[in-house]
Amino acid sequence: MRITLAVTITAILLLAAVPVWAHHAFSAEFDVNKPPTLKGTLSKWEMINPHSWFHIDVKGPDGTVTEWMVEGGSPNTLIRLGVTKNTVKVGTELTIEGYQAKEGTNKAVGRNFVLADGTRLFLSLGGSVPGTPGAAPEKGSEKK
Amino acid sequence: MNHRFLIPLGVIALAILVAVVLVAPTSAAAQAQKAAATATKAAAPAKPLPRTPDGQPDLQGYWTNNSYTPLERPNDAKKDFYTLEELREVEKRRAAQEDEQTVPGTTADVHYDFTQFGLDRSQTRLTDNLRTSVIVDPPNGKLPPVTSEGQKRAADRAAERRKQGAQYDQVQNIPLGSRCVYQNAGPPMLPPGYNPAYQILQSKDTVIILIEMLHEVRVIPLDSRPHAPQGYRSWLGDSRGHWEGDTLVVETTNFSDKVGFRGASENMKVTERFTRVSDDAIRYEFTVNDPSTWEIPWKGEMPFVKINGPVFEHACHEGNYGVANTLKAVRIEEKKAADEAAKKGTK
Repeated sequence: MRITLAVTITAILLLAAVPVWAHHAFSAEFDVNKPPTLKGTLSKWEMINPHSWFHIDVKGPDGTVTEWMVEGGSPNTLIRLGVTKNTVKVGTELTIEGYQAKEGTNKAVGRNFVLADGTRLFLSLGGSVPGTPGAAPEKGSEKK
Repeated sequence: MNHRFLIPLGVIALAILVAVVLVAPTSAAAQAQKAAATATKAAAPAKPLPRTPDGQPDLQGYWTNNSYTPLERPNDAKKDFYTLEELREVEKRRAAQEDEQTVPGTTADVHYDFTQFGLDRSQTRLTDNLRTSVIVDPPNGKLPPVTSEGQKRAADRAAERRKQGAQYDQVQNIPLGSRCVYQNAGPPMLPPGYNPAYQILQSKDTVIILIEMLHEVRVIPLDSRPHAPQGYRSWLGDSRGHWEGDTLVVETTNFSDKVGFRGASENMKVTERFTRVSDDAIRYEFTVNDPSTWEIPWKGEMPFVKINGPVFEHACHEGNYGVANTLKAVRIEEKKAADEAAKKGTK
């Protein structure tokens, strides 16, 4: 029984293409062969649709500061998980692993956003967060 | 610090225990009907369905159709329904794929971390649709054969696109969703991937559906007025609704030919049926009829289930830097290629 189930699931998964339902075509905008790791402080966080953008000041070995713009999650979905603009405050130290934009300036898309203490931001193991918009209403919590 | 965003495993365990929402299907398959009948019985409402002061079934509230269920049945899913155990395996695997695709070499279109981006579908309530496909008729869960006229139209559209250059050469060629123009608003209203939130409002003579993705609004008159003149064409079409018993039936025509839903013509007609089957769910059925594209009409079905509101504004154009970034990248590539060609020419 378990083997049959496993075989069925595996077969289904092998045949089902991985759909891409993000907002834009990633490979047309970003270069997977240029994955910078940026360590800096947050100077601005644009919470705008369709994607938020983190502006960070990255200090080079010689002390010069370079500003990078890093694309992050969709504001609506982040807010739905309880994230607000105050979740990551200006001045916060961040390490961001990402892929650089093909358009050549200091823009990238973030893969991992990590705080100084090692916490990965916004990491969910899946499942909606109870009590937030988008989650199932809790019994008796609905307004009449 | 920020640990409240680390979702404890207990929550996932809890999510797995959440009751299954099943909505009675209309599939012709006898086995499916049997399974659905059992499920419907299990999900039968203990109290009368909510009604508006006008006596109409009350469809109002916040809803989602969020699921991993594909429109067409995967080739190896030889049945209409998964068991709950199988569905959980599929969902788990699909969520993992959304994570894995951040790594070069895993998929053709390497992407950012959907989980970190809040784009992982499982972060909004899933409908727990046990169907293996949205399509219920034809019973094999696949789109019906395309007519010769439909095939010719598809070939012509593809040729027209090629004539305009590559997909990212110019703004008109970039997919509609990436340009914030249109993404699964429907009808038929299929899950948009992210921002899968809807609000339904109704009065005696109008139903309004607010769609979060790209901030679309459907205004559906129920007062028997005729459809708009043939020349009126729009992305969401022209909808007219009426009640058949406790089911809201909505017929939509007058689509723009730019929609081209699954290759359809502008003469596509979509008939949707909304039935409140429990406090927690609406059964959503639709029929797509376009004789110039498909040899027979085809039908789909899925549930909408309740979620906490609100539906947020989605001002997609506000910060859509992606279009400019993409076009700029293409211009740089073109310049590089031209420079290299010139260098070769001078040698």
